[in-house]
Amino acid sequence: MNSVQDAIQGALPDAVQGAVLSARGLRKRYGKQVAVDGIDFEIPAGRIVGLIGPNGSGKTTTLKAALGLIPFEGELSVLGLDPRTQRDALMKDVCFIADVAILPRWLRVGDAVDFVAGVHPRFDRSKAERYIASTRLKPAMKVKEMSKGMIVQLHLALVMAIDARLLVLDEPTLGLDILYRKQFYQNLLEDYFDEGKTIVITTHQVEEIEHILTDLLFIREGRIALAASMEEIGQRYVEVMVPNEKAAAARALQPIDQRAMFGKSVMLFDTQRAGGLSRGQLEALGEVRHPSVADLFVATMKGSYA
Amino acid sequence: MSTHMSTHLSTMKWLIRRELWEHKGAFLYAPLAVAAALVLLIGGGFIYGMASSGVIHINAGEGAVMTISGLPPDMVARIAAVAASSYLAITAPLFLVLPVVVFFYCLAALYDDRRDRSILFWKSLPLSDRDTVLSKVATALLVAPLVTVAIGIAAALALLALGLVGGAIRGVNLVAPVLANSNFYLSPLYLLSFLPLYIVWALPTVGWLLLVSSWARSKVFLWAVGAPLVTLALLAWFDFLVARFAGLSLNVKWFGEEVVARVLLGVMPGVWFGESNGAALIDQQAGIDAPMLLAMSYGTLATPGVWIGAAAGCAMIYGAIRLRRWRDEG
Repeated sequence: MNSVQDAIQGALPDAVQGAVLSARGLRKRYGKQVAVDGIDFEIPAGRIVGLIGPNGSGKTTTLKAALGLIPFEGELSVLGLDPRTQRDALMKDVCFIADVAILPRWLRVGDAVDFVAGVHPRFDRSKAERYIASTRLKPAMKVKEMSKGMIVQLHLALVMAIDARLLVLDEPTLGLDILYRKQFYQNLLEDYFDEGKTIVITTHQVEEIEHILTDLLFIREGRIALAASMEEIGQRYVEVMVPNEKAAAARALQPIDQRAMFGKSVMLFDTQRAGGLSRGQLEALGEVRHPSVADLFVATMKGSYA
Repeated sequence: MSTHMSTHLSTMKWLIRRELWEHKGAFLYAPLAVAAALVLLIGGGFIYGMASSGVIHINAGEGAVMTISGLPPDMVARIAAVAASSYLAITAPLFLVLPVVVFFYCLAALYDDRRDRSILFWKSLPLSDRDTVLSKVATALLVAPLVTVAIGIAAALALLALGLVGGAIRGVNLVAPVLANSNFYLSPLYLLSFLPLYIVWALPTVGWLLLVSSWARSKVFLWAVGAPLVTLALLAWFDFLVARFAGLSLNVKWFGEEVVARVLLGVMPGVWFGESNGAALIDQQAGIDAPMLLAMSYGTLATPGVWIGAAAGCAMIYGAIRLRRWRDEG
């Protein structure tokens, strides 16, 4: 029985069993400026990946390359397809929200639903209409009459009703208030995501999405600074609340970042640093906890703007 | 294969519908407004004229106005013949609006969504850049002219009906002779037969405008109109210099007629008459001789310039598709 399954698995194309997105030596230059500097990464199916980096680090360029919007050097395979030459086929299985508020101003809610239903083979019209009914959007409403938050609701209604295997979100909630932002990610998780789908998100508001991410990809100056699953990160990085009397001993263990809080030092340690560091050693220093993605990000990106 | 074909056609249908949603004002309301103005002004003048003077003025097109009040039968027959063959001429203003609409539509077609970045929404859907651009070509060359023709025919019929009823009330009954005249039924078909010729002549302009629309980062109008005109002016200046100092002559007139005029004026209906014998156009006393006009118009297809221009137009449309595929919108 197992061998039959193995045989079937072996016959499946790369895209089905392997990585949804895989890059090898991905490079993109704008003139002399290198935006993405020969990066390698793999994103397996069923993950929610946070692609996180400072402004100008190359994250949007990476996504644009994956969506076939720009030419690039190196190898990039999305669902087994080359986005440069097979974009038209790729877009049946990939969807993206590239930016907030990019729906055309003249578009009406009802027309938008009709249009996507007309051109997209994987669009579930009733799902979009159900979602729209739960908002203040009305079918005759034009995009130019909507608030920024409502535009995002419409966009999300259209995108969530598309049964895409890969969804790319580039700063989807930029400029929205906290209520819309929370609702956005909640809807995404409850009504859209399942094990057959993969989501790649970039955002500056890391703290709002870290609880939904399964994987992190830090990018800095066109290179991958960190690529790990959240479990790996939880095991590898440890935050310790060090009381003052142990601070000197703790600093000897070379924390990658430290800050003061309530008269204690909060230090961040990489247990995989050169020389090694055991959890036991750290627990002896003080209270141990998981670092937040935001703190890890700041520690990793130290010196980016220097 | 057939399902592939039908999804392709259905996508095209939605793409064209999208263009109509976006440009409803230009494609529908503008010709409707002009048609309404024609019916109101001419029809109103007509009724007022009858009521006040007791005679009928028939505008026979080309500025000729005939006055009727109790006529011999052969005269009635001639007037009926003119009315039956020429009633569509009254829609001429609509075909002055059409090129303006098509010109500015093409300029905006591949630029506006890049400017407001909504191109990223369209590109997030399974729509190829080829289909997107071709839907805009079809909208400019087929949908817009057909809508204008349909509105024009409706307006012309309304005016003709007004005239015939008015005449009948005044005792000059033209209804029967007009309805018996085959030209009355053929005129809309004659008008439609100009469409293929219009498409061939408009291709270089539509191609050029779409290319600029797909390429320019800003100031599309300036690029589209300015670039050919500045080139022409530079050539004329250069020609002046070489003629003066080297005794040579460049064919600047040829460049103006074969390149600049074709890429800027091709969307004007009737632009092809520039290549025809003008005298034949003026001599149209028995109403419009549509078969003669058609033959003369299609005769312009015998010159290679038309075809070279149309081929260049197709090449520029291909260029617009490639640019839209790879232009980085930041």
